[in-house]
Amino acid sequence: MPTNTNCAGVTRRDSIQIGLGTLLGGGLLTALRARGFAAEAMHKPTAKAKSCILIWMDGGPTHFETFDPKPDSPEEYRGEFKAIPTALPGVFFSEHMTRLAKSLNKYAMIRSIRHEQGNHGAGNHYMMTGAPPRIPVGCGAFVSFHPSMGSVVAAEKGAPAGLPAYFSMPTMSRSGGPNFLGAKYAPFVVGEDPNSPSFKVRDVAIPQGLTGERFEDRTHVRSEVDNLKRIMDKAAGDPALALDEHYKQAYDLMNSKEAQAAFDISREPLKLREQYVRNGFGQRLLLARRLVEAGVPFVTVYDGGWDHHADLFGSLRKRLPEWDQSVATLIADLENRGTLSETLVIALGEFGRTPKISTLSGQAKAGRDHWANAMSVLFAGGGTPGGTVVGATDRNGFAAIERVLSPENFVSTVYTKLGIDPDKILYNQQGRPAHLVSEPTPIKELM
Amino acid sequence: MRRIVLLLSVLCSFTASPVCAADPAPTFERDIQPILTRAGCNSGPCHGKARGQNGFQLSLLAFDHDFDYNAIVTEARGRRIFPANSTFSLLLRKASGLTPHGGGKKIHEGDAAYRTLERWIAAGCPRTPADAPHLLKVTVSPDNSVMVFKATQQLTVTAHYSDGTKRDVTALSQFSSSESVYAAVDANGLVKAGPIPGEATIMARFAEKFAVCPVLIPLPTPVPPAVYEALPRANFIDGHVWAKLQKLNLTPSESANDATFHRRAFLDVIGRLPTPDEVRAFLAEKNPKKRERLIEALLQRPEYGDFWANKWTDLLRPNAYHVGIKATYNLDQWLRQSFRKNQPYDQFVRELIAAKGSTFTNGAVVMYRDRREPGELTTLVSQLFLGVRLDCAKCHHHPFEVWGQDDFYSFAAFFGRIGRKGTGISAPISGSEETIYLGDGTGGKRNGSTVKHPLTGKEMTPTPLLGQPLDIPPERDPRDVLADWVTAPENPFFAKVIVNRVWADLMGRGIVDPVDDIRATNPASNPALLDALAADFRKNKYDLKSLIKTITASHAYGLATTPNDRNAADLRNYSRHYRQRLRAEVLLDMVSDVTGVPERFEAMPPGSRAMEVWTARAQSVFLDSFGRPDPNADPPCERTPDTTVVQALHLMNAPNLYRKVTDDAGRCATLAKSAKTPAEIVDELYLLAYGRMPTDTESTAAVKRFEKPSASRRAATEDLMWALINTPEFVFND
Repeated sequence: MPTNTNCAGVTRRDSIQIGLGTLLGGGLLTALRARGFAAEAMHKPTAKAKSCILIWMDGGPTHFETFDPKPDSPEEYRGEFKAIPTALPGVFFSEHMTRLAKSLNKYAMIRSIRHEQGNHGAGNHYMMTGAPPRIPVGCGAFVSFHPSMGSVVAAEKGAPAGLPAYFSMPTMSRSGGPNFLGAKYAPFVVGEDPNSPSFKVRDVAIPQGLTGERFEDRTHVRSEVDNLKRIMDKAAGDPALALDEHYKQAYDLMNSKEAQAAFDISREPLKLREQYVRNGFGQRLLLARRLVEAGVPFVTVYDGGWDHHADLFGSLRKRLPEWDQSVATLIADLENRGTLSETLVIALGEFGRTPKISTLSGQAKAGRDHWANAMSVLFAGGGTPGGTVVGATDRNGFAAIERVLSPENFVSTVYTKLGIDPDKILYNQQGRPAHLVSEPTPIKELM
Repeated sequence: MRRIVLLLSVLCSFTASPVCAADPAPTFERDIQPILTRAGCNSGPCHGKARGQNGFQLSLLAFDHDFDYNAIVTEARGRRIFPANSTFSLLLRKASGLTPHGGGKKIHEGDAAYRTLERWIAAGCPRTPADAPHLLKVTVSPDNSVMVFKATQQLTVTAHYSDGTKRDVTALSQFSSSESVYAAVDANGLVKAGPIPGEATIMARFAEKFAVCPVLIPLPTPVPPAVYEALPRANFIDGHVWAKLQKLNLTPSESANDATFHRRAFLDVIGRLPTPDEVRAFLAEKNPKKRERLIEALLQRPEYGDFWANKWTDLLRPNAYHVGIKATYNLDQWLRQSFRKNQPYDQFVRELIAAKGSTFTNGAVVMYRDRREPGELTTLVSQLFLGVRLDCAKCHHHPFEVWGQDDFYSFAAFFGRIGRKGTGISAPISGSEETIYLGDGTGGKRNGSTVKHPLTGKEMTPTPLLGQPLDIPPERDPRDVLADWVTAPENPFFAKVIVNRVWADLMGRGIVDPVDDIRATNPASNPALLDALAADFRKNKYDLKSLIKTITASHAYGLATTPNDRNAADLRNYSRHYRQRLRAEVLLDMVSDVTGVPERFEAMPPGSRAMEVWTARAQSVFLDSFGRPDPNADPPCERTPDTTVVQALHLMNAPNLYRKVTDDAGRCATLAKSAKTPAEIVDELYLLAYGRMPTDTESTAAVKRFEKPSASRRAATEDLMWALINTPEFVFND
């Protein structure tokens, strides 16, 4: 047994030394490799997917009005929408999911993930990290007890040419942070709207108002004034050398035609941009596709406002047709480009919604409330067999009853597909070991 | 039983093991559990985790003997053990990899551990009798070692039993090094020194006991004692630092020059840059004691309170979503007020630990609104104020520590009787008032309740660490008694932890590191210095400003960061100053000060500084990029001192920084419009950003840019300022 699998500051210090030494030496990739050695994973699953686009439907999307309609249940459960057939005989979606219904043969649907965290803060944490919150947390909470999928993937896989390895657009999701992995693996947030004609990814391009020539000039001035003496002996661990390395990577990124091209969504054909739908969400999906093609391993497209306690049907009538088109276009586009097999596309929120339609006091229009006992998760790409429906809920959509799965199963599937061992042991800042996922069994139907 | 004996004799005849007849049969607690621990079977990542591994669960690091015995011998219908033919036991076959085992091959067929397990099973799996001699301690020999580069040294571990017997348990021990760069240790206890001077502590563990062996690896070429005798000694600190350097044959770097010291002192003591006028005045000052005079003056400035309170908000700031906005604000203001008035540290801690009253009127009680369980409070209070990490002991005996569950829960008992009245945590708003007071302990939120041991159910009596249970009269608040004990001059931890924290802030690294983890297996790099600082702090009545004065007055504090030919590899002994990346808030205020354009924050009046922001919910891409801690994470994420590519990109290209540099009312515009010559503008910018005058070469190069035919004064000023901000000399405290 390696001595570093114990509860001590020892390990933390060792890992810091490994991190620092290699950063001085060979940059990010070397550092990541060194981390790999330090971690000594028991076995590496073979990766099918290189990257993951996570569509995070914050608020908890209804499973009834999306992917798990209950047309045979009483009116107070089934709601106003009808069920429509899908590409898979006997499988029905709700009526606004027309395009996704037709293309179900390209991806998989999980209908039987359940957990016990019925509020937003806790549900977000559980689904985003695969670990339940350690102490009870409330609905408004933004909490982090464990690294999020995006941060883990960033730490394990890295990204080329100084590209941030984990993007989140347009905001960070609630539990999407790195926790003990450290700020290096926090998401790079792109708040700007790619649907806007003046769209730019923050900080990776010269500020507006400055010419390239002037920027070049400044870079020269910078080298003239930068006279702080560096300590070249590596054993000294001069942090200024690490900053130099990061400036070099920053310049690389700014000068990288590939990276800059990835951010330049205006290069996409207009017709395709229309197909993705000309709104912030649709264009973010398109940008996400460009980012993963540039080598970014994890992109979260945060899509808020699914907490439909009221006016469920009215607002979804407006929202779902476009949402359906954007997501279906992303899957089709990836397939056309031949990259679906190496790109995971996942859409979910923190939980499903109550079977019984409710009108909360003070509300005029009916909605559904939080329900963690059942939810639907769309899972495409990365070798996921198309036309697969995993599990089922009961007749009225109360509970997952077939192939009941946990958030742990879900994140284990994501990790395994990306070539990360879900049973890997991570060390927190105190050197205490923690399993990446406590129950590391992936969903075999999706493998 | 007869059958087992018979089988045993049959087995003996087959295996022809020479030890079989001579040695008494191995017994579970004494012989078997150490093997399982050594092989890692009961470690956290394997069968020791809460749900076990693949249906087989052991207690973490063998703390529960009955549980483990039951798991091995009777659980799973006894299939793990096959006394009729012990080699067929699943326990042996799995551990030796003969039957596929997820954990791999942990022992080898035929080795000592294998044979012991085999004999134990064959003997009928005996327990160690309760009256058998028990393990008193383990020792390691040698118990300290001075090694030369790349030398090796075998350690021997001895177990000492209550009947006076000793046993060589090297082969059953686990080893680890605190600093494997300096000295690594392999699984068999062979220590290997590295190629650089330094120190490591090697730890050997057997069963639930450990022993340590400090290893010193000096630089091979000796330094004449006269060199150390000639070194300046401004106060007691220097003597201790030089003594340690002498042990390692290291010599200290030169003193930093005045400009570097000046900038360092400003950033370390009040967290802001000096103005150009302040730099000029200091450089011109002839007073030989001007460094001390400077510190004295800085300690009187109003920025002091906000800067040092900001460090404590990292440790205590709650999640506003959890406790509410008003409570968060009150605690923040309480902390600031305490540092503004330079409250003696013992009183500061006393007010926090014994806090009573309303979250709306006394910020100090917010800790008890945020942390509600006695267990949580135990972890927090012991780590913050005593540097003792008890969190592991909550569930199991810490393998590298002296603390067990009894210690944890008898300490937690101090927090049992906390009564809470008002609206508790009702996330997401949690906006209401709550009052904290002494309850009667009869149960429920309002009364508080007694703390029970989770295994035995025994009601725990409040007990200080390393102390005896206390008889506290019912009318006395146990937290008052705890505050007495924590802040007492005799408390072995209290003063050390805080002087170590302040030392780490000023010197770049703690004498104990991490700063809040004091234990035998994480030793101080200079124990005599730590003791002396603590004694001095107590003598000065826990006065933090006086502590800062003492440390900064030492010659060691004023050393340059540039190494000499002997001390580049020294990261722990203060032979040179250690560069630190500046904190997020300090850097943002620096950028605002240099550009002359203040930052705007949500929930703050205009003109507020980053150092005054009281909640992380006040959004700032800058502060987040530079690693301000997020109180929404739990445990609160440590502030990160690393540099990242995101930081570089942000300093280069962030629209907000671009606006500050180019603002028509900003510094660049003002300087460009002024009557100053280009050389004067260059001086001003260097003084602002680096706190020093430019060298002649630097000045000539910069002035040339103003004189290019195509140049505009405004653009040249802006470019120079941008360039200065984007260098390590700006971002680091040197």
